[in-house]
Amino acid sequence: MPRAAVVGAGMTEFGIHDIPLEELFAEAAFGALDDAGAEPADVEALYFGNAMSGQAENTTHLGPKVATHAGMAGIPVQRFEDACATSANAFKNAVAAVEAGVHDAVLVGGVERCTPETGRDTAAMTRVFASASHRQYEQPAGLTFPGVFALLTKRHMYEHGTTEEQLAHVAVKNHGHGALNPRAHFGKEVTVEEVLDGPVVADPFRLMDCCPFSDGASAVVVVSDELADSYDAPVDVTGVGHATDVVPIADKPTPHVTQAARDAAEEAYEQAGVSADDVDFAEVHDCFTGAEVLASEALGLVADGEGGPAAATGRTARDGDVPINPSGGLKAKGHPIGATGTAQVVELTEQLRGEAGARQLPDADRAVAHNLGGDAATTVVSVMEVRG
Amino acid sequence: MSDGLTHAAWSDALREGALLGGACDDCGATVGTPKAACPHCGARGLEPVELPTAGTVYTETTVEVPPEGIDERGYRVAVVDLGAARVLGRLDGAAEIGDAVALAGHVEDEQGYVVPRFEPA
Ligand SMILES: [Zn+2]
Repeated sequence: MPRAAVVGAGMTEFGIHDIPLEELFAEAAFGALDDAGAEPADVEALYFGNAMSGQAENTTHLGPKVATHAGMAGIPVQRFEDACATSANAFKNAVAAVEAGVHDAVLVGGVERCTPETGRDTAAMTRVFASASHRQYEQPAGLTFPGVFALLTKRHMYEHGTTEEQLAHVAVKNHGHGALNPRAHFGKEVTVEEVLDGPVVADPFRLMDCCPFSDGASAVVVVSDELADSYDAPVDVTGVGHATDVVPIADKPTPHVTQAARDAAEEAYEQAGVSADDVDFAEVHDCFTGAEVLASEALGLVADGEGGPAAATGRTARDGDVPINPSGGLKAKGHPIGATGTAQVVELTEQLRGEAGARQLPDADRAVAHNLGGDAATTVVSVMEVRG
Repeated sequence: MSDGLTHAAWSDALREGALLGGACDDCGATVGTPKAACPHCGARGLEPVELPTAGTVYTETTVEVPPEGIDERGYRVAVVDLGAARVLGRLDGAAEIGDAVALAGHVEDEQGYVVPRFEPA
């Protein structure tokens, strides 16, 4: 039996939005409600994600602010902050709430503004992002977030022989996918040569190995299994796993295996009664190209050490045997931190309904979303399926 | 059971050229930074232990786009394997993964927090 169902999905374009967070979130919230055929009055609670508005925009207590702006003042709002896994954590708790009967229908979503055009410049946002690394034992070294994933990826390269060219193939693939997505931050294709010619951000990552700073919002309507059939196009949520790992990086026994993702995937697959072999496609957290390689292995979609070759040989492309990030991923679609987790759920919902337009995958019946936070010390893995 | 290892004690030791970790009597794990309890088994009161100041590079990167507050570019950050535990710090010099390095001091940020600085051994 499914744990819950997604009956409405909405998101803004990811890119540059010079409007307040409340206006940006309302656009996604209304998109989700309209898609469900629901009114704000149908929603009993809001599970809301935003990671950094206090630091980046000097606005806090955002829950009632966004609820008020979207016509939902009065309902309970719980806000989540879990770095880049912020709104997947909100989704996990929303699914648990409707499954337990705490609520029958809730709105889940997130919003963030990260672009230099609408907020702080690259150096300032690099510092804000670095706040997810350990304040005492990592930040004083000047560790940045590209640096965090560079540390994980370089060990993976050392252990498995993963190459910079294979990483570049991840970027090329996801840019290609993003070019089919009208809501993607980056809509142009790139070549391996262009990626490898880019300036280094934190080696082995060059500029195009890194996702952009994006503004955007996403939201979904989650209802109980009992209520799902009263909506037009429900998609089942059959498993949500959530795990953490040791912080800081140096104290993780094997950082590059991203153990939290493996634990979360095991939990999600077990709830859904499936294995990685049963997954038709995945949206994974490719904040950097190396992160997609690590995620593809942690989810069991490819064998350990095969993540790089799988990208280079096209196995993870739209027409490959394990399509990854048909939306373009964080790399091309964009990464407005608090909106990313539920944006993955939006993509799963649209693909599983067969409503993904030019980027629609054939035979998409079951999919997995992988949203990680911080130095991979939080990961939420969700399994969604065509309603049975 | 000890009172455990604090950030203050860890930092004071580092300023004096020593690396402290916490050893768990219950499961045998050693961690390279202070914890109120063992991250692997939950036992409280990790025993402060002096870690070796030499080891090998476990992983490293060169940061070319620094955060606000750091003006230099092209500095290196590494996780160094000291045997019983690993620690993260700055790495000056050409050492790559697997190469031998040794503690060569510390770096301090604008709030007075310190992390180790390593050089090729
Ligand atoms: Zn222990």
